[in-house]
Amino acid sequence: MDEDFEIINWRNKLIGAWIFTIPIAIIMFSERLFRMSIFPEEFMTPAILILGFPVIFIFGWQTIRGGARGFYTFYFNMDSLIALGTVIAYISGILSFYNFVDDYSGIGSMIMSIFITGKYIETKARGKATQEIRKLLEFGAKKALIIKGKDEIEIEIKDLKIGDIMIVKPGEKIPTDGIVIKGGSAVDESMITGESLAIEKTVKSPVIGATINQDGILYVKATKIGNDTFLSHIIQLVEETQSTKVPIQRLADKITNIFVPAILIISLLSFFGWWFFTKDINKSIEIFIAVLVIACPCSLGLAVPIALTVGSGMGAKRGILIRKGEAIQTMKEIKIIAFDKTGTITKGKPEVTDIYSKVKQDYLLEIAGSLEKLSEHQIAKAIIKRAGLKKYKEVKNFKILRGRGVEGNIGKKKIVIGNTFLIKEKQISLRGFEEKINLFESEGKTTMIIAENGKTLGIIAVADVIKDEAKKVINYLNWIGYKTAMITGDNERTAKVIAKHSGIEEVVANVLPEDKVKKIKELQNRGMVAFVGDGINDAPALKQANVSIAMGTGTDIAIEAGDIVLVSGSLVGVAQAIILSKATFRKIKQNLFWAFAYNVIAIPLAVAGLLHPIIAEIAMALSSITVVTNANLLRKVK
Amino acid sequence: MKKIKLSIEGMHCSSCAGNVEKSIGKIPGVGNVSVSLMTKKGFVDADEKVSEEELRKAVARAGYRVTKIE
Repeated sequence: MDEDFEIINWRNKLIGAWIFTIPIAIIMFSERLFRMSIFPEEFMTPAILILGFPVIFIFGWQTIRGGARGFYTFYFNMDSLIALGTVIAYISGILSFYNFVDDYSGIGSMIMSIFITGKYIETKARGKATQEIRKLLEFGAKKALIIKGKDEIEIEIKDLKIGDIMIVKPGEKIPTDGIVIKGGSAVDESMITGESLAIEKTVKSPVIGATINQDGILYVKATKIGNDTFLSHIIQLVEETQSTKVPIQRLADKITNIFVPAILIISLLSFFGWWFFTKDINKSIEIFIAVLVIACPCSLGLAVPIALTVGSGMGAKRGILIRKGEAIQTMKEIKIIAFDKTGTITKGKPEVTDIYSKVKQDYLLEIAGSLEKLSEHQIAKAIIKRAGLKKYKEVKNFKILRGRGVEGNIGKKKIVIGNTFLIKEKQISLRGFEEKINLFESEGKTTMIIAENGKTLGIIAVADVIKDEAKKVINYLNWIGYKTAMITGDNERTAKVIAKHSGIEEVVANVLPEDKVKKIKELQNRGMVAFVGDGINDAPALKQANVSIAMGTGTDIAIEAGDIVLVSGSLVGVAQAIILSKATFRKIKQNLFWAFAYNVIAIPLAVAGLLHPIIAEIAMALSSITVVTNANLLRKVK
Repeated sequence: MKKIKLSIEGMHCSSCAGNVEKSIGKIPGVGNVSVSLMTKKGFVDADEKVSEEELRKAVARAGYRVTKIE
């Protein structure tokens, strides 16, 4: 891979450079420290020049060439500084033959070697910062087993076409996005959604490429391939995010852009200043080189992007897609977290919550299930699911009574299922059930009454139930100091019940879809608002909020809708996204602080002549390594 | 407006990324440019009339190479 190639490249240069630099260091230090010359004095400079040549001009060639370019295109970069510093040092060695100046060529070689070492470490750490996204890239299956005519053949993933029927055996990866057409199994989608529980898949279930089939054989028809798959979309999104800017970065970017030319000027001024005042050309050269090599635009320019990269990569691994760097910065200002109700706090699909029956419950469910089977209504689906019948009774004269219920005959019995309105219309007595009906309705549930031959048998209460994790997550958010609110079109009573059970502090009920934006604006008068919604019905509300968090429901997520997109529908992701954003922003601030502090302190020290060029270069290398390593420490956050 | 994704080779420090941004930004018809050293990618918002050739040249002018345009 590209990144690995870069690391190997720097490593090779590092080894080569030090093979020549170590002898130089031995020659120089034995002379300086022990007043002991390995060679006669007159051989020393030539030896260092010969040894130093490959270090600067072969192993450092890329840097010299890249840096030199800056001087005629005026696109200066880091290399320009190092190139100038090392070449000047090398030339001083040649000039020292004529006794013009002292010999700094050995120092030049050391600077180049230390620079290369620093780059090697930095590149490696940068590679580590992008490890999550690289892992995502590797997630994809390489091969697919498909049915062709009567045979099963294995093909390369790139040869897969839409409509191909893939066979996925237990333990294998699903090659691409598709729909199950035969078989059933549990599928581990954790690598995409962050959801650790395996998801049951049966005929017609959509499946995501790169997820792992656990126990049964699945026959899957491919619906999306190549760049259109869910996994590809996530990868593209994360890459895009990592290129976005965080507002706090603006100053650092501005400085980075003028940094190199500014340092060139400062170093020249220092050189002439020292020369003018001290008349000491050697000290002036030393300071010139020290200023050139100490300045480090890298730590400044990398401070924010590297932290953003690590943060967004960590998010992607947990099914949290941060789409804009800006959201990370805004997140720390958020005071209120507003939730949509349906599909966000609740599961979005009604479920049977209570059954109250004067006959055997199984019998009640059998007739209710058989009738509702013929209806398409959401409530009917909940009842069918709860009944879980293997065989349905034959129903005759089935009729849907719009907005009220259904009726039909099973054998000789006339069955009516519906709301109280329908039952009253049919003049069926509800005696003995009124209390229960009132209780369920006060809890915000919808009650369906089942009657047989004009006599009420029982009632089934249906409600859009709260997600299992809702209470825990919302209590946590309240506890760490957020105000939580819920915006819903439901009536006050139902909404309050949901709020009470989920821990939501404030309810804004009876809100028409088009008024959601207005309600968010009202909340914004009291502080910055993050809105959590499903991204499909809530797009305008998401747009109005300061930070928008869009919840996904598996394969189709409205990626464009949110600043942060949660792939799974779990509310735990909301808390995780908030924690991650805050932690990432903290890292960003730390990094910027270090980078600024380093340059603000180190450059004046070098100008003042207090730093030897070698110390300056070591300090420079360490400063960018510190920033990159600090960003990688973000992984410690759970 | 179209969104173009560039893969760029040879960048190794943050002033490099800044240089590429500056160079691409000079092309008439180019709006927002965002180049990342981390991903080695550049995202460019540009008019329809901005050609791939112009983008390649701009990146080359700053001293780097475009390996892929999407």
